[in-house]
Amino acid sequence: MKKMKNTIKISGATTLIAAFFLASPCIADENDSALESYNRAMFNFNAAADYFVIKPVAKGYRAVTNDFVRERVHDFYANIKEPVSAINHALQGNIVDSGKSLGRFVVNSTLGLLGTFDVASGWGLRNNRTDFDRTLAKWCVPDGPFFVLPLIGPSTPRATVGMAADALATPTYWADYYASFGEDWERYSVYYGITALGFISLREENIEFLDNLTANSVDPYSTIKSAYIQNRLKIGVCGNTDVSADDAGYDFDFDDMDDD
Amino acid sequence: MKKIFAVLFSALFLTASNASAAINGAKAEAFIKNVTSQGIEQLVNADISESERKARFTKLFNQDLDLDFIGKFVLGRYWRTATPQQRSEFIDVYRKLNIQTWSERFNEFKGKHFEFSGTEKSKSEDQIFVATKVPMQEGAPASVKWRVKETNGQMRIVDIIIENVSLAQTARSEYTSYIQKSPDGINGLIKDLKAKLK
Repeated sequence: MKKMKNTIKISGATTLIAAFFLASPCIADENDSALESYNRAMFNFNAAADYFVIKPVAKGYRAVTNDFVRERVHDFYANIKEPVSAINHALQGNIVDSGKSLGRFVVNSTLGLLGTFDVASGWGLRNNRTDFDRTLAKWCVPDGPFFVLPLIGPSTPRATVGMAADALATPTYWADYYASFGEDWERYSVYYGITALGFISLREENIEFLDNLTANSVDPYSTIKSAYIQNRLKIGVCGNTDVSADDAGYDFDFDDMDDD
Repeated sequence: MKKIFAVLFSALFLTASNASAAINGAKAEAFIKNVTSQGIEQLVNADISESERKARFTKLFNQDLDLDFIGKFVLGRYWRTATPQQRSEFIDVYRKLNIQTWSERFNEFKGKHFEFSGTEKSKSEDQIFVATKVPMQEGAPASVKWRVKETNGQMRIVDIIIENVSLAQTARSEYTSYIQKSPDGINGLIKDLKAKLK
């Protein structure tokens, strides 16, 4: 009986995810307001969490570190993402790029002292990141509607699935899994710690950018939503990446003005 | 025979009239080259006081951006119903707010340079996109596209598209959604924008 309940739960979740995808056969639509009230509430929650906790921690991190230290931390996180890029380049059929990402990972993890120095860039092996979200796009999986995740922020169903899959392909996840022998709850404690520092490091890098983006806005939610959706249109579905600005759904001819 | 001449003649006539109406890509590119080099040499890299920087930025901004046109687009359908007073008040506060935002943000281009990668056609004949790339410290270069419009022989920027994000489109989403919700409509927007000015 219990097993059956679990099965129902799982299939319920799968149906929900499937419903998300099926409900919007086209790319995320900026005028879709079905999720609007949930999104705004979650956006406000995130903004409060950011104001009271995340941003102060990011500022504290900036205060106790210098540029050199922050760059090492940044490079470390960029490096543990290289296997993710390598796998996804391969899934997208880009074998050369996959090899480059793998090469970068090997060189930087060893000569670059666990990835804290980007030695490979100096050798002409430039960072060329990709992820499972882009792989899904290449496989013609549509994006789905814009929605706001707790703490993580702006997302879409495809972006969320991509993010979860990428987390599983990150080496620190597996390193922690095999290195610890304790209870389940402490099994991933190192991984969570590493993830949290990565989150704070990313927030620190964006302090000025987000301040600027929201300071002069009368409706930061609309500003960020619009910018996020436009930026995602750059990831073309089915390998069609040639999205010019004119295709982004607007034109400066005022005949179109009432369509908004 | 007469018919052929007529066709040839009209073809010639049409191309000629098209050429005079359509915006010239090479000229538009030269215009943006001039704007970006001025911006970087006289603003970002120049050793000047903050007030002088802001003064220079304001001059460059007013001279090279067609803010009357952008403001119209940004208000979307609400432009049509706005009174002349509301229109001019909105354009005025929108101009000031943009100068305030961008005179600070322009420093993000410190140590960077623009690489020009040709032009792209726009749906409108008097407009064109000038494509540029800004090399970044890591990863692929950032794409910055400039929408240039020619009015009475003068070229001006009407939009900047950074990594596929159009500044005009983003402002339009923000303002139209705000007006929709505001009980005071456009007046409410103008009032709250004024409150953002330092």
